[in-house]
Amino acid sequence: MRKWVPYLFILPTFLIISIFIYYPAFNSFYLSFFKVSVFGNRKMFVWFDNYIDLFSDERFVRAFSFTIVFTLVTVVVSVFLAFFIALLLNQKVPGVRLFRTFIFAPYAVSTAVAGALWGFMLNPVVGHVNYLMARLFGVQVNWITTIPYAAYAVIIAAIWKTLPFNIIFYIAGLQSIPDELVEATKLDGANVWTRTWKLTFPLLSPITYYLVIMSIISSMFQSFAIIDVMTRGGPGDYTTNIIYRIYLDGFRFSKTGPASAESVILFLIMIVVTAVYFKFGRKSVHYQ
Amino acid sequence: MKKILVLMFAILVVLSFAEVKIQFWHAMGGWRIELIQGMVNDFMKANPNIKVEVQYVGSYEEILAKTVAALQAGTPPHVVQLNEISTKKMIDSGVIVPVEDMIKKDPSFDKKKLLPQVLNYYSIGGKLYSMPWNSSTPLLFYNKTMFKQAGLDPNKPPRTFSEVISYSRKLVKKDDKGNMIRTGITWPLYAWFFEQWMAEQNKLLVDNNNGRTGNPTKVMFNNEAGLKIFEFWNTLTKEGLMINTKKGDWTAARQLFISQTVGMIITSTSDVALLLSESKKQGFEIGAAYIPIPDGVQRAGVIIGGGSLWLIKQKNQAEVEAAWKLVKYLADVDPQIAWHKGTGYFPVRLDAKEKLEKEGYYKDNPLHYVAIKQLLDTIPSYATMGAVVGVFPEIRNAIDNAVEKMINGQLTPKQALEEAEREANKAIKQYF
Repeated sequence: MRKWVPYLFILPTFLIISIFIYYPAFNSFYLSFFKVSVFGNRKMFVWFDNYIDLFSDERFVRAFSFTIVFTLVTVVVSVFLAFFIALLLNQKVPGVRLFRTFIFAPYAVSTAVAGALWGFMLNPVVGHVNYLMARLFGVQVNWITTIPYAAYAVIIAAIWKTLPFNIIFYIAGLQSIPDELVEATKLDGANVWTRTWKLTFPLLSPITYYLVIMSIISSMFQSFAIIDVMTRGGPGDYTTNIIYRIYLDGFRFSKTGPASAESVILFLIMIVVTAVYFKFGRKSVHYQ
Repeated sequence: MKKILVLMFAILVVLSFAEVKIQFWHAMGGWRIELIQGMVNDFMKANPNIKVEVQYVGSYEEILAKTVAALQAGTPPHVVQLNEISTKKMIDSGVIVPVEDMIKKDPSFDKKKLLPQVLNYYSIGGKLYSMPWNSSTPLLFYNKTMFKQAGLDPNKPPRTFSEVISYSRKLVKKDDKGNMIRTGITWPLYAWFFEQWMAEQNKLLVDNNNGRTGNPTKVMFNNEAGLKIFEFWNTLTKEGLMINTKKGDWTAARQLFISQTVGMIITSTSDVALLLSESKKQGFEIGAAYIPIPDGVQRAGVIIGGGSLWLIKQKNQAEVEAAWKLVKYLADVDPQIAWHKGTGYFPVRLDAKEKLEKEGYYKDNPLHYVAIKQLLDTIPSYATMGAVVGVFPEIRNAIDNAVEKMINGQLTPKQALEEAEREANKAIKQYF
């Protein structure tokens, strides 16, 4: 086999990735040093001005911190909740397939539709949530337009959307745990609690490891649709995260330069998070 | 040699009769897609050598973004519909053919036939840059049936801010737990309404005569006039007399009005047809009136909103000519009347309006009449002509954000106005 043959085989994929991922990525890196006119026909090199402007802009700092809060809450809640729901769905009870189908359903729904759905359910006038809350507790909340409820609303919708993906993986993992191990712990007298935390959870750690990264990515990037449909980043800029900020600057305000700088920053955040996680996360992962 | 020349001549002749293909991008969803296609089909019947590809592209923002992309790819569309706030951006872009240039060459189109208010809005320095097409203004709609129930005179809609507040107080209804089940008023949370109220007070939004005698350098709304609007908005919300939507949510506002959760709505005249038919379904009577204005000011009038048609420069001049024909046709009398009847956007031409009057259309449709009357009553000035500024979307966003922070109790009206001014000025400074 000649040395260049393998390269020949990866060439088609590499070409496609270059056109759709590498080229745009490098281009936005390049454009982040420019001021660009609306139609892209005038450009001005501005060094690091776009970056300096961003970090001296309190709106961007707020978007930055909301991204952190939003991601942290969404990831932690959706991963742990998924683990517990998967434990329940792994029981041998009648109708479990039906429950699984119901619980997986949100995964088949597109993010924008999920946002629209929650926007409708949380609608102060005709929404189900408010109707129930008014009936049961006699309170009404303007979920979408008031602080802090708008943040709760988008976080709930994001968790609802990412949950099924995580559950599928956990269930698959649970089913691959050998029965002998479970029986051995039973014989040793371990109760459900110890069994879950000392056996099941460590055995599933590679899955948790993978899901955490995937959830971080999805809540940082795919949250755009939910936020756009539900709150449009409001009230004020309360639920504006970085990805929504990029959309506003890039597409609403036609400011390519700052938008590119923001995407570079988001890219750097992702790099740092992933690197840190790979370095420290790996220690607590057990492969069978 | 001779043969080649003959052949070339033949090709030239064929080419000159060949059909010209042009693209028309618009942002009018729903039932209006069919309506526009119908109008364009009529145009193609009259001009068999022009083929128009009509495309509903999505929102105005999406049209702008896709036009930018298409231009960079070298295949720009020929006619695009954009909203009023893109005007300055398009003029500064250098990629358009000003409509005025085409009018000069084409004596068959008389721009004096356009409504003067509409012509004023889209002309900068006396030059018409794009063809007005779907124009609207804000209007107050109110539920006459609910007015009667609340003991209000259904023929006396509120005219001032303080009347809106006192009327709304009467419209409020609570259940035994103290929850609001009915209240006064709503309008979409959108800075467009703020601009209208500045114009009503004959105040400019940006300097250099609203950007019409020079590039704007700063906003002019942080003053008594602006504060009146913010305080009105704040009072209504704090007292629970108004329900706010999220940013730019026209549908939610309409929903509140149609479901009779609120008794009044301020919305675009382009909603006339929809509100009329929905109110009939819900079994209540609807009235329309000029938008209420701050107390003690003289009513100056409203600013045009909506969209216009832009011609994009092409390599092949024949395509621009064909695009101009289409634009001219869409702004003609009969298409404008069809458009008006089908949507509620008003006719942009005087002769179309006169024809409708002769037909007795406005007698049967009094709400449509109020809409156009409000515009015709507008006193021409730089304030009511509306602002022309490149960063308009950002200015609107700055005002929207400030309002949202104010009604959430994070800022006082005065602070909110200051913040909006600061953010807007920053955006103007960065315009490139």
